[in-house]
Amino acid sequence: MAVALEPGPVRIVVAEPPPGCEGGRLATVDALRRLGGGVRIEVVHDARACIELAGAADLVVVDRDLGSEGRAILTALRGAGPPAVVVTPEATADAALDTFRAGAADCVTASADYGEVLPAVALEQIRAFRAASARRAVRERIESLERLHAAIIDRFPAALAVLDAEGRIVTVNPEFARAFLGAAPPGAGAAGRALEEVLPADLLASADLVELAARARAGGGHPPRIARTQHGGVARAFDARAERLDPQGRTLLVLADVSEREQLKQLQRQVLQTEKMASIGQLAAGVAHEINNPMGFIHANLAQMEEYLGDVQRVYRAARELGERAAADAAPGVRAAAERLSQLATELDADSVLRDFAQAIRESQEGSERIRHIVQDLRAFSHRDDGQVVPADLNRCLDATAHIVWTMMKHSVVLRKEYAPLPPLPCHPMQLEQVFMNLIVNAYQAIEQRVRRDGGTGEIVLRTALARDGVVVSVSDDGVGIPAEHAERIFDPFFTTKDVGVGTGLGLATSFDIVRRHGGTLRARNRPEGGTTFEVFLPLAGPARRGGCEGTAGSRA
Amino acid sequence: MSAGPPPTLLLVDDESRILSALCRTLRREGYRILAATGPAEALRLLEAEPVDAILSDHKMPGMSGLELLEAAARRRPAAARMLITGWPDAIPGARLTALGIRALIPKPWDDAELKQALREALQR
Repeated sequence: MAVALEPGPVRIVVAEPPPGCEGGRLATVDALRRLGGGVRIEVVHDARACIELAGAADLVVVDRDLGSEGRAILTALRGAGPPAVVVTPEATADAALDTFRAGAADCVTASADYGEVLPAVALEQIRAFRAASARRAVRERIESLERLHAAIIDRFPAALAVLDAEGRIVTVNPEFARAFLGAAPPGAGAAGRALEEVLPADLLASADLVELAARARAGGGHPPRIARTQHGGVARAFDARAERLDPQGRTLLVLADVSEREQLKQLQRQVLQTEKMASIGQLAAGVAHEINNPMGFIHANLAQMEEYLGDVQRVYRAARELGERAAADAAPGVRAAAERLSQLATELDADSVLRDFAQAIRESQEGSERIRHIVQDLRAFSHRDDGQVVPADLNRCLDATAHIVWTMMKHSVVLRKEYAPLPPLPCHPMQLEQVFMNLIVNAYQAIEQRVRRDGGTGEIVLRTALARDGVVVSVSDDGVGIPAEHAERIFDPFFTTKDVGVGTGLGLATSFDIVRRHGGTLRARNRPEGGTTFEVFLPLAGPARRGGCEGTAGSRA
Repeated sequence: MSAGPPPTLLLVDDESRILSALCRTLRREGYRILAATGPAEALRLLEAEPVDAILSDHKMPGMSGLELLEAAARRRPAAARMLITGWPDAIPGARLTALGIRALIPKPWDDAELKQALREALQR
């Protein structure tokens, strides 16, 4: 009768009167030995020793003859520890009941078949005890894992949402609730709803989160996207990822707040841009000067060559006229010379050479004119501190600028103005008009590109708004937009996508620098509906370097 | 310009091609033209010749155009003084006024404007 109990050896503690006392002690231990060699039996003679060993045992067998000590053991083990089996000398129902009440798991009478019954009872008790222990261990493990799980999700520093196969929210973590559900108690009200009902519209649109989740649900991979929102008046950026959790299509959406990182990146870009501007400004001034010297004589010489060529052409025409007359009626020697002249003119194709000469000069003049223009732009770029700061009405500046360029674009563009009443802003109005001019002309050129491709007309929206501490002027178009690969470079000097001779690539760089010198910011973003918006923010305090508002209303406005 | 000798014009530039281009431009303006490729030569010519107007480059080795014109003002106060430069932004307006400089001509120049500026400077 070997015991098949795994794992670990079976330990039984037998509590019985000390040797010499009356009782069937040898019989009890002998009976239990029949369980096999894998069973370790320890014999104790008092309650204290028994309770001490019971913690590591699978079964305690108490001899009834132990009296009050036996009762103390039962009381101690009741509800905790291994089962206790009591061996009683008499087989009365009262005695059995008594031991059960005291906490025994079973009761065996030391009768004739005691040697058979005790091992069977012991085995049954051990099995039940071990099964219960195993179940309890599993339950505790599950509970511990669940607690760990909940703690991780609750404390996870990103917004998590589990979506079902239809894309509806199953559950969200407290961070999600805090970030997007406002004052609502954690998770309340989100379950069963679609992402569109819960997340801010601009956040959803900026990274197409619904599509992101659907793609993950279908098992598709994707790089994380940056989702942005202005919800609640604060600009925030999130790193958005979605993963399928199981074959049923449940999906985990993770939105990690990376606003600080993104702000830092933005700041870095601005610092870099500013440094680039400063060094290029210095370079530009030097280059402009160096180019101007040779340009000086090229330009003047071309003008002179044109004049000289006019003179030569007049002499040539007179000579040809003389030649024609001489060929008709002069003496033979003169006639021969006249024929040579005519022959030479034909051979050399002199008429068209002179015409082409004039053409070559005109084209060179055009080129030198273009260089002069570039150098002027460069100078404007490097030298922009002239003029006083005066308070100006930006709506009027914008109007004046739009008016100048309007004739060129009125055939293909509708102009819409959405002006807010603005207080006078201390600024260099001419410089800001240059910025507005650049932005409007860029908008027009973006529309032209789209119209050439798709036909139709375009719309430019000029918008002004008063912010808390500044003025926002925006120029929106429905043109071709800025390709992603150009987004980082549009404010770089000399970066242009325009045809040769159309743009020098300094317009936006100059604008960026002017706005920066006013203490403001210039940003570009593609509109979801197509086209681009350039947004100028100018602080009401005015250009910082000159101590804010320098002129007063009466001085030069 | 009535009878009498033609006005004498002194051109100063360390870039000889500028000098020849200026000479070409002004060839038919009826001036007697002197050309100097540096401030030292210009000052020598100022001592030796009657000069009615000086048109000088600004950035030259040894002495700037402004310094040259300042020296010229002491030698020949009656001569009209003009500056021609590829970097007009770098010249402080206050100094131009203080030195009585009649015109600041940018490089590259517009021929008509240059001729006009010279005529006006010589008439005063």
